Order: sequence, then C-alpha cells, then structure tokens
Amino acid sequence: MARLRALASLTPWLPLAFLGVVALLPLAVTDDYWLGVLVVSMYFALISSGWNLLAGYTGQFSLAPAAFAMIGAYTTGLLCTYAGISPWLGIVAGVVAAALIGMILGRIVMRLSGPYLALTTLSFAEIARLVIANSYSFTRGDLGLNVPGLFESRTVYYYLVLGALAAVQVGLMLLLRSPAGLYLRSIRDDEVAAASRGVDVVFWKTAAFTLSTAVAGLAGALYAHFSELISPELGLITQSGLVICMVVIGGMGSLVGPLVGAFLVYVLSEVLREVGGVQLIVFALLVILFARFFREGLAGLARRAGLGKLA
Amino acid sequence: MLSVDLLANGLIIGVLYALMAVGLSLIFGILKVVNFAHGEFYMLGSYAYTIAAASLGISPWLALPVAIAVGGLVGWLTERLLMRPLYAGYSSWGLMRDEYAVVVTFAFSILLVNLVDKVVGPYSQRGPALLDVPRMSLGPIMISGQKLAATGAGLVMIVALALALRYTLWGKQIQAVAQNRLGASLAGIDPARASSAVFSAAGALAALAGALLAPIINASPDVGAFPAVKSYVIVVLGGMGSMPGSILASLALGVLESFGAVYVSYDYRDTFGLVILILVLLVRPQGLFGERGRVV
Repeated sequence: MARLRALASLTPWLPLAFLGVVALLPLAVTDDYWLGVLVVSMYFALISSGWNLLAGYTGQFSLAPAAFAMIGAYTTGLLCTYAGISPWLGIVAGVVAAALIGMILGRIVMRLSGPYLALTTLSFAEIARLVIANSYSFTRGDLGLNVPGLFESRTVYYYLVLGALAAVQVGLMLLLRSPAGLYLRSIRDDEVAAASRGVDVVFWKTAAFTLSTAVAGLAGALYAHFSELISPELGLITQSGLVICMVVIGGMGSLVGPLVGAFLVYVLSEVLREVGGVQLIVFALLVILFARFFREGLAGLARRAGLGKLA
Repeated sequence: MLSVDLLANGLIIGVLYALMAVGLSLIFGILKVVNFAHGEFYMLGSYAYTIAAASLGISPWLALPVAIAVGGLVGWLTERLLMRPLYAGYSSWGLMRDEYAVVVTFAFSILLVNLVDKVVGPYSQRGPALLDVPRMSLGPIMISGQKLAATGAGLVMIVALALALRYTLWGKQIQAVAQNRLGASLAGIDPARASSAVFSAAGALAALAGALLAPIINASPDVGAFPAVKSYVIVVLGGMGSMPGSILASLALGVLESFGAVYVSYDYRDTFGLVILILVLLVRPQGLFGERGRVV
C-alpha cells in the first residue's frame, strides 16, 4: 500500500518530467521543419490538456475544442490586423475572448448532459467555423488571414509555447489537488450524488468548461503568431477529432496522458503523411480499439504494468 | 407569391432533413446514445448512388435501392461491431456509457471519411438526376424535377417507416424496447435484434437522403458533416427519441432557413438553426416534444 501511494504521489510530476525531455529536444532536432512539427504538437498538447480537464476529470464531452482554438487565433489575428495592437496583447485578448464565449456557451450547455451537450457543442463548432469562413470581407474566409509574427527564430517560439504548456500543467495540477479538483471529479463520478453533497454542479461544470476553452484559446492565439497564416480549417470537426484521439490514446483523466498522446499522434501523423496520408485512418482505428479494450489509454496501460511489477 | 415558393422549398428541404433526423432520433430512442457517424451514412449513400448510376451505368431509379442497401448494411455493422458492448455483458461500466458511444461513433465517422477519401478520392462527384426535367412551375412554386422526385421518394419512405413502426410486429417490438429494454426482453422480445433493425433502418434512410441529394450536392468524403449537423440541431429541437417531434422540427428548420436566407442573410443561413436551438435549450432543455426525464 505504501509503495502504491508513493507511486500515486509521483504521477503529478510525470507531466513536468515529460516536458523536461521536450525542452531538451531542440538540442537534437535542428531542422526547421521538425521543430515546427514539435511546436504544432505542443499546440495540440495545450488543447488536449484543456479538453482533458473537461472530459477526463469532469466527465463533460465537448466536441468543440478546436473551434475555441480557432476563436483564439482569429481574435488576435483580427485585432492585430484591424486595430494594430501588439501581438502580446492580442494573445491575451484571444484567451479572454475564448474564455468569455466559452463561459456564455457553458452557462447554456452545462445545464444539459450527455448527448445534448455533445450535440450542442458540435453544432456550435461547425457554425462558428461557417461564420468565420463566410465573413470573407472581414476575415478573408478560406483564403486565410495573415498574422504578424513574434520572433524570427523558431527556437524562441519553441520555448515560448513550451513555457505556456508548462504553466498550464502546473495550473491544472494545483487545481486538481485543491478542493475544486475534488468537486470536478465528484461530478464526473456521480452528478446526483455530488449535488446531494452540496457541490454546485452547474457552477463547477461551467468553470471547467470556461477553463478548457481559455486554454484552447491560448493555444490558438500562440499558433496564429507562429504560423503567421490562419484559416477556418483550424476549427474543423476533424481537428477536434484529432484532439479526442490524442486524449483517448494517451489516457483520459491522467495529466501526462494528453501530453504523450498529442506528441505521439501528431509526430506519427507527420511520418504517416509521408507514407501516404493514412494517418487519420490509423488513429481512428486505434481510438476505437482503445475505447473498446483499453479504456484508460496508454497512461492506464503503463500504470497497470508498473503496478503489476510492484505486486 | 414569393412567400409561397419559399414555404414550399423550405418544406422540401425539411423532408430531406427528416430522412436523416428520424433515424438519429430512433437510434437515440432505443439505445439512448447519439450516432456521430450519421453524416457518414449519408455520405456513403451519396457515393453508392453516384458510383452505381454514373460509373456502373445502372438506371438512377435502380441505384436508389443500391444506396439504401449500402446504408442499411453499414448501419447494421455499426450496431453489431461498436454498439453491442453498450448492453451486452458490460454490467459494470454504466457511468461511461455516453462517453463510449460519443468517442466510438465519432472515431468511426473520421475512419469512414478518410477511408472513402483514400479509396474513392477526395474529388467531388455529381450524381445523375432521377428526373431530368429543368425547373418548372407548379402554380406559384418553382421546382426542379430532381427536387420533386427527391421529395416524393423521401415522403414515401417516411410515411412507410411511420406506418411500419405503428402497425407491424417489428415496429411494435422496437417501440417496446425503446420504452423499456428490460421489460421488453422479459416479454420475449430480443432487444439486440430490435437495435440491429433500428440501426439498419436509420442507415438506410440517411443513405437514401444522400442518394436523393447527390445530383444537387455533389458526393465528396466530407459531404456528410453538413446534413449531420442539421439533424443534430433537429433532434434536440424536436426532443430526442420523439419521431413526430423530429419530423416537425425538420420541416420547421427547412422553412426557417428558406425564409431567413432571403429576408435575413444568405451568408449566415446555416446559423439560424443554432440560434433557435440555443433559445430552445434555455427555455425547454427537453426540446419541443421531449419528455422531462427524472434522474434517479
């Protein structure tokens, strides 16, 4: 038992250890293309961590994570283009806008549960994308919007996004260890029982939703200034699907799972793209197999293997 | 006279929406899960029809049953391979039911889109028209031959399904399982068989919608996303699991979009449904016809 508890208390440090390894990667990877792949992996890791807070720890399935990244990206992109503000302020504005829209949507949808929630967020995601794509006079629609960059060097970007990712991980860790984290998990495990014990279910679900959309907005805003060109494709349902693949394969309800999942899925998908664009077929099959047979993802498999040795 | 024309065209679109929404609603009724691969049933129907009629040279009227058969088969397979674990043997995972269904059907949808993209190719293909008659006027209504044929075929199928559900033994068994799975099985009804039947019927109807619209909206791997989102809005509006509710909501959405596109904004016509949806959810989260459930 003591050893089991020791292992459990170690787990919170796994995400930071993993990010430590990621911090050392630029020593080995000097190619600009692969550095870019890693930055995009971190973009997905951010969105996945936010979605995991909502789906893995609170049990609420939103199907709109990528749409909120798109909202964050367009907020900073449009503000920089039309109001000429500094990209740094734009990033802050992107986070605030995504969180605000998330909070309003959350107020409405968090009174719903299960399938209603998934359906409403999916409709929202698709329609948000259509609005941005159809407002071409303002957003240049599918042509894409040019966004000013922040730095010349990709390595600086790399550490900026890594810093944001590490900050989000520490924040999530503190949140989940606080009473709020307990409320969220109690809602996941049994909403009615949580409410009967005095947990304000709608408030905490809305809070989790708002936080997850804020993190997605941050990811999108950082990505906008990295790629310098954004298009409504950022908010495609397939992009949200990719996020869900990452979290399910990595392991829902574990902090390190979404990080491992994001890097694994995105880097693998770049490799498979060169083989012939079969990446999404492979991941969709993997997700079905994981959901069917290994419900806790890679993190769960690793935990089971580790505990097997201890026992 | 414009308003009569708009009303008629809205109702026509509504009938085609209903083909999708009714199946989705039936699946929810019997398994209490949402099928996120529903748009891909539509997409496969669209391709089956186009390939059978355009590439293999079968008459378009005979290509329709081909599309229905493909949709039915895929629906049956979905239930058999992915939905069975929901109610067969896994007694301990009651908490994760919804999540399993969302993840698995969502992944299945991505799988089908990309499989078709790889096998058939990403280019869109136009299906040949059923009735190759140019736009004509029926009184004040302007309508193309294809839309007329599609609406007729769609109406026939919806009425046939409604009658079958009400009067045939299979239909009554499906209703019984939707009301109470355990009770129905005690009465000697096989719930697994009823679920299979519902998934096949839902797949067939969605595929039919895809086939009927193939001459108007070209078949492409991601063509299913748009009708799927519409039918998600519709089932929430109509109340999940309610068949009359989803038919009425389909017609209402069709009419609303048709008027809104002219009088409000053409570019944003696809957003009206969501606005209405959010308003309805604020006031009546159970939808227009849904029953308020009690959590126990």
